[in-house]
Parts: sequence; structure tokens; C-alpha cells
Amino acid sequence: MRTDPDLAAEAARGSEAAFAELVRRHQGRVRGMARRLTGSASAGDDIAQMTFLTAWQKIGTYAGGTFSAWICAICWREFLQVRRRTRPEIEFDETAEIIPFERPSDQQDDRMDLSRALETLSEAQRVCVVMCVAAGLSHREAAEAIGWPLGTVKSHVLRGVEALRKHLAKPKVA
Amino acid sequence: MRDDETFQDLTRLFAAEDRALEAKSFVDDVMGKVRRRKMVRRVFLLAAGGAGALLAALQVPNLLGDWILLDGSVDTTILSAISSAQQQAGLLASANPIWLAIAGVVGVTVAAVTTMERT
Repeated sequence: MRTDPDLAAEAARGSEAAFAELVRRHQGRVRGMARRLTGSASAGDDIAQMTFLTAWQKIGTYAGGTFSAWICAICWREFLQVRRRTRPEIEFDETAEIIPFERPSDQQDDRMDLSRALETLSEAQRVCVVMCVAAGLSHREAAEAIGWPLGTVKSHVLRGVEALRKHLAKPKVA
Repeated sequence: MRDDETFQDLTRLFAAEDRALEAKSFVDDVMGKVRRRKMVRRVFLLAAGGAGALLAALQVPNLLGDWILLDGSVDTTILSAISSAQQQAGLLASANPIWLAIAGVVGVTVAAVTTMERT
């Protein structure tokens, strides 16, 4: 099986088939990440599409390393751009405990426990958990992608995971 | 200790959610947009390049005529030939401002390539 860097090199030479294979391999991770960041399936998929279109344009700048970290960093930037367009009054503040985040109510009924548990986290914790736990980036990769200090990311992941576990362990009320 | 050792169980839960997402329609959508962008870029570059080539071709008779008239002043040494060519280019540009338009089209084309080219 061809590796991600091999496929990226082929895509950089113009191979649509190689790029399609990269999209197929990473779409789940990127869509999942965007959906969890936005709290919406449709908005998340839009961001994921923009992520891959940007990746196609910039595939020549991929310089090896973990492809998933590279594509997740693009996804994060696309998410921030959309966020700035839709809610320019909110700046990201990783020190804040709770930042209001507008979430559509159309899918509330369908949310799984995991999604509900994510929503109980502060936004900074949610971002770090989504990047490190859900998308599988290392703490360092996540810190580089989102531009926060490594220690801050580690601490948010630690607290976020703890809060997630507590929430998931709660007995369900029928 | 590796970063993910403390939350591998949660990572597996998230990954299971991600695997459940239907891939084919998403991949088709993305690749459709990639192809459309490629086509738009190709059409734009062909149109700009074609317009530039047409303008240049229209000027060939004038250029050749001007060149032949000016050719007598060209010296045999390389340095004077370069200097003379520079003078001729200046003369041509001032005598026929369409060259400025051609330079403009070339500039727009280069800008388009720079903007839309994949890096």
C-alpha cells in the first residue's frame, strides 16, 4: 500500500487519483474534527471540503511528517476563518473557562453520548480534546497546529479527558 | 509515556464514529470541486494567453516593419548591439503603445498563474 507521503508527492505532480485516495483515507478524521469543532454535521462537512480543496492547492508545501497533522492544521485554520466570518466578535481565548459557542439545535436529538460529553467541556478543552484525543494528533502536533503553548495543550487535554470520563461514567436516566 | 496512552479507549470511540461516516459521496464532492477548479483555471489561462497571443500576432507586421527600418543602425559588436536593441525597444514602445497593452496582458496572465497555481 502506498504511504501518505508517496500519495502526496504524486498529488503534487498533478495526480487526481492519488489525491482522491488521500481524501478517502483522511475524510473521516477531518470531518469528525470539523463536526466536533462546529457542533454541526453540515457546517463541519463544509469546513472539511474547504480543507481538502486548500490541501489540493498547497499539497506541494507538504514536507513529509504526519499527513494527518498537516491536514488537521489546515482544517483548524479553515475552522477559524469560518468562525471569524460568522462570529467576528468572539476571539479565541485559551485561558477562558467557558466561551459561548452558538450551536445549531437541529441535531440535538441525534447526538451521541460522546458528542454530549464534548459539549460539557470549555471550548479550549474541547479544541484540545478534539485535536489530540479524537483526531489522534500528538500534543506537540496539536500545539503547533493551533499555536498554543505545549503545556497549555497538555493541561487542557488532561482536564478535558477527565471531564469526559466523568460525564460518560454518569448513569443514564431513562 | 506516549501522549495517547491515557486516552486510547476514548480515541477508539471517536475513531469508530469517524469510520461510520459515508466516504464515497464526500470524496466525490471534493474531487468534483477539484476538477471544476482545474477547469476554471485552465479556461482562464487559455483565454488570457490566447488574448495576449492574438494581440502579439496582430503587431507582428508592424514590428517587422519597424525592425527593418531600424536595423541599419545596429552595430556589429555585442555591446553596441545590446545597447541598440534597448534603444529600439524603447523606440518601439514609444512609437506603438500597444506594446504596453501586451505587457499588461502578460502581467495579468503571470498574476493569474501566480494566484491560481498550486504551490
